[in-house]
Amino acid sequence: MTDTLSRKFQKDLNGGLVALVLLGVLADSTQDLYGYEIAKRLQKANEGEALFKEGTVYPVLRALSAHGLLTSRIVPSYAGPPRRYYRITEEGRAVLADWSEIWRQTRNFVDRFSSGVRS
Amino acid sequence: MNSAPRSIEEYLRQLRAALAGADPALVQDALYDAEEYLRAELAAHPGKSEGDVLELIATTYGAPEEVAAAYRDNEAKVNAALRQPVPRAAQSRGAIRRFFSIYSDARAYTSLFYMLLTLATGIAYFVFVVTGLSLSAGFAVLIIGLPFFIVFIGIARVLALGEGRLLEAISGERMPRRPVHPGPKANFFKRIVEMLSDVRTWTTLAYLVVMLPLGIVYFTIAVAGIALGGGLIAAPFATVAHHLGWMTQQDVSIHPAWLALPVTLPLLVGLGLLVLTALMYLARAIGRFQVGLARTLLVKPGT
Repeated sequence: MTDTLSRKFQKDLNGGLVALVLLGVLADSTQDLYGYEIAKRLQKANEGEALFKEGTVYPVLRALSAHGLLTSRIVPSYAGPPRRYYRITEEGRAVLADWSEIWRQTRNFVDRFSSGVRS
Repeated sequence: MNSAPRSIEEYLRQLRAALAGADPALVQDALYDAEEYLRAELAAHPGKSEGDVLELIATTYGAPEEVAAAYRDNEAKVNAALRQPVPRAAQSRGAIRRFFSIYSDARAYTSLFYMLLTLATGIAYFVFVVTGLSLSAGFAVLIIGLPFFIVFIGIARVLALGEGRLLEAISGERMPRRPVHPGPKANFFKRIVEMLSDVRTWTTLAYLVVMLPLGIVYFTIAVAGIALGGGLIAAPFATVAHHLGWMTQQDVSIHPAWLALPVTLPLLVGLGLLVLTALMYLARAIGRFQVGLARTLLVKPGT
């Protein structure tokens, strides 16, 4: 029961956070990245245990791209279908700065109330 | 609930099934994304069999149902955010303002541009299809007949994709962003039979052919409308300028003569505006019709 609830809670949380994390990853990267690379970076960052399914990364990348926060180009690949490489735009960086600020405020606020549980 | 997929083809088939009924363009995106990931994952584990790698996929990439749900969720959100807002003038109450609100609708201008373009694209498509089909028929008895036909159909599909992108640019309606996903791997001859029995192959050719007559009609309407409307609006000014002696080189004459009376001259401007506005409405309607036609012939069949 708690397990199902926890999973649902995690999924609800991920809604906007995946987009924030993806913008962050692409802003940190000096080169363009494709979906698989991004997914693997996230997995590695959390000691092999991703907080969300990597399949959910792709639709969010497309959504960010449709909003003009990312640009993309297609590069043919030897192993399978062509890959879509993503890069963050100036608008994307501005949005990332805004969202990071919102996230920091939210985190501080939430921490103030949920820290009591730790004991 | 499907059994866990054991191969990439099976995974893609389950994903396609889970997305049944969704926008064909969205299904294409999802299949390409999944294939990119799955093939990369397979290449990253050279020691493991395809079945073993696919077993891990459910915990890393997600099961087909989960991935399908993620695409559906996102598409709904993006669509809501990107829908072109209805111009504010269209909501205002004044009948005259509402009538002229068409001038603030970007789609009317892009559609008008598209109408002017279709004569050129229509001729090119028509010549391409007629030449390709005739040469394919002629070459059919030769060894190069089959390869030629395959290349011809391949180019036709690229043209169809380009036409879709153009229509998305003018109308904002979602059209496919990549070629049709080829589906599971099959041998060469099976692919050819599939291509020939695919309804979409033939509807694509039909679309390209029908673009010639449509292009002629669209182009004629656009040019006639702009020339007539513009001429009517300009006529009174030209007449006045002529009377004032500013235009001595050209002779300005309006027939019948009563139209050139000072009372009727302003009416010509009104008529010209009416013609231009009607043209803008017609252009937007034609743009919508064209998107519908493209969806029916280029996107929907066979999916």
